[in-house]
Amino acid sequence: MAEKRIRQIAIYGKGGIGKSTTTQNLTAGLVEAGKKVMVVGCDPKADSTRLLLGGLAQKTVLDTLRLEGEDIELSAILKEGYGGTKCVESGGPEPGVGCAGRGIITSIGLLERLGAYTEDLDYVFYDVLGDVVCGGFAMPIREGKAKEIYIVASGEMMALYAANNISRGIRKYAQKGEVRLGGIICNSRNVDREIELLRAFAKELGTKLIHYIPRDNVVQRAEIHKKTVINYEPDSKQADEYRELARKVEENRDFSIPTPMTQERLEEILFEFGLMDDLVDYKI
Amino acid sequence: MSNFIERPRYACALGGALSTMRAIARAVPIVHAASGCGYNLYNTMNSGSAYLGGGYCGAASLPSSNVTEREIVFGGEKRLEEEIKTTLEIMDGDLFVVLSGCMVEMIGDDIDSVVKKFERAGKQVIAISTPSFKGNSYYGYDLLLEGLVKYYIQPAEEKIDKAVNILGIVPGEDVFWKGNLKEIKRVLSLIGIRANTLFGEGEGLKEIQNSSNASYNIVLSEVYGVKAAQAYEEKFGIPYITEQIPIGYLQTEKFLQEIGKLFGISKKMIEKVLERESGIYYDYFERFTDIYTDADLQRYAVVVGDANYAPSVTRFLSDELGWLPKLSVITDILTDKQKINLEKNYENYESGLKVAVKFDTNAAAVKKYLREVWEPNKNQKYYDALSPLAVIGSILEKDLAASLNAPLITVSYPITNRIVLNRSYIGFNGGLILTEDILSTLVAGR
Repeated sequence: MAEKRIRQIAIYGKGGIGKSTTTQNLTAGLVEAGKKVMVVGCDPKADSTRLLLGGLAQKTVLDTLRLEGEDIELSAILKEGYGGTKCVESGGPEPGVGCAGRGIITSIGLLERLGAYTEDLDYVFYDVLGDVVCGGFAMPIREGKAKEIYIVASGEMMALYAANNISRGIRKYAQKGEVRLGGIICNSRNVDREIELLRAFAKELGTKLIHYIPRDNVVQRAEIHKKTVINYEPDSKQADEYRELARKVEENRDFSIPTPMTQERLEEILFEFGLMDDLVDYKI
Repeated sequence: MSNFIERPRYACALGGALSTMRAIARAVPIVHAASGCGYNLYNTMNSGSAYLGGGYCGAASLPSSNVTEREIVFGGEKRLEEEIKTTLEIMDGDLFVVLSGCMVEMIGDDIDSVVKKFERAGKQVIAISTPSFKGNSYYGYDLLLEGLVKYYIQPAEEKIDKAVNILGIVPGEDVFWKGNLKEIKRVLSLIGIRANTLFGEGEGLKEIQNSSNASYNIVLSEVYGVKAAQAYEEKFGIPYITEQIPIGYLQTEKFLQEIGKLFGISKKMIEKVLERESGIYYDYFERFTDIYTDADLQRYAVVVGDANYAPSVTRFLSDELGWLPKLSVITDILTDKQKINLEKNYENYESGLKVAVKFDTNAAAVKKYLREVWEPNKNQKYYDALSPLAVIGSILEKDLAASLNAPLITVSYPITNRIVLNRSYIGFNGGLILTEDILSTLVAGR
């Protein structure tokens, strides 16, 4: 049997699109299926593991570094959450000061040094800040780290715009290394013809819509209770959606170098798919 | 108030990586940083290291991407790629090493992926992250070696018994590195151990490549080179030991006995070697005993230096030269654990003396400690002065020595008041040379 490789996955997408929510619910789905998962939050807000840990119980890597120095144990920054998930928050400086990008480079470097990437892991997820504003935020997709990327998007114009933009970055890294786009995850906003729009968008990008997650208020309720949907209401339909997403990610072998489109082409697609045929629908 | 560094005794991580690269023939560094980093660091290391020069590809011929605001805003990878390409065209070398500075590390340039392109084209180009904000030049030495272990050195087919690598002597930061490596190689060869010193006379990339075949790494430092040794251990399974640099007969004797024991070398053989070496050593050493006693060349001493030199020099002064060292100040930035380990090197002097050991990065603090260890002159009727005194340190102790009316002998970085070529201060020969240099200062006016 081939040597087991940890699947390292980075999740990108527009700010506020639901990356953290989706990543954690997806993680819960994988954990339920018996997988060992580590989630590395790469957002200075440090809210990527809240649902898995049942609150913001995590001391971030950078806070620990700042207060205690480099001579620390892994247990100081790695907490166990739902179903044995390993949770790490990179953290960052307070808004408006320092360099959050370098913070991510520093904390991933520290994780490697402390031996967080153990062989028993099946998955490592990097939940990355919405806009890949500098080289630091591309750290998780550098050589030897995440080779798979999923972009969370919805049918909203700005979400697609961001997804297209992120694809430019992925393309740059894909051309010189092994990193590939695994697909688009649609976190629905109940936009007109959303699923068709996302399919067309994904196709144009040279990838596919891996799963469409419908909008359901149970997600909001679970979040208020600091839980993933699978943990909060395991029998709900939404929990099944996340299980389905987990299954699709687990089985996905279809990875591509994205072909980002021009602004004009993106707008054309929006025109083509983003409007209902019958304009009567728009009357209030 | 937290402590400060008044006058630093090192450059940054990039500086240490560069001075280590300087020690490797036919290896070409490519600096990926703003203009100024490369040449300023060359100036620092050149003058501080007793005029070391640029070497094979340093000083004004150091290739550098010289990033500007454009690269900082838009990323510097393209500029680096261009710089590597042109360097490969112009510079004749066998290994090209990209070393990164602070600014490109801040913006997250992916230097690894840039060099991959050249690797695919069959060129020996590797990239080592050496942002200066990560540490000083000693750390840069470790980073460079770790990088070579990770990206350049291939596993050896088999380990060679009694072959060792010497780590911990940092080229440039140890001003006498090359002479020191030569002597350590010589003394180890006396007991049948083949030492690969990586940066020594006649050594080069071939030796660095072959370093994976060693059966042990000897780190001649409690502090520097330990990270590099750990990298060797992790990748090639080479265990390591740390030793203080041995200065003079007694320390080198003990060093050889310890290493001999480690390798299971017969006591008889070691004794035979030591007998011969001590014959040679003391034949020279006894020469000055007449003038020593006639002119009373015994001195009190204050030693100020890095973690390698300060403990060994202090012990040498006490146990071999018969001097009275009163204070030994170690000037590196150290962890508590490292401090405890270093303090142990001041125990059990043959002379029975106890030396006050202080750790301080601030050069101006030495006088304060001196007042602690020796009662100051308060115009007492009878005052026992700390005199005659000699200061053994770096050039930064020049003012201190002048104010104490004591001669200064420079052994630790920075040294700007002399030219150093193949001089050594360690081993048997190094002990003799150090004796020459120290005592010559005292008879210089005759």
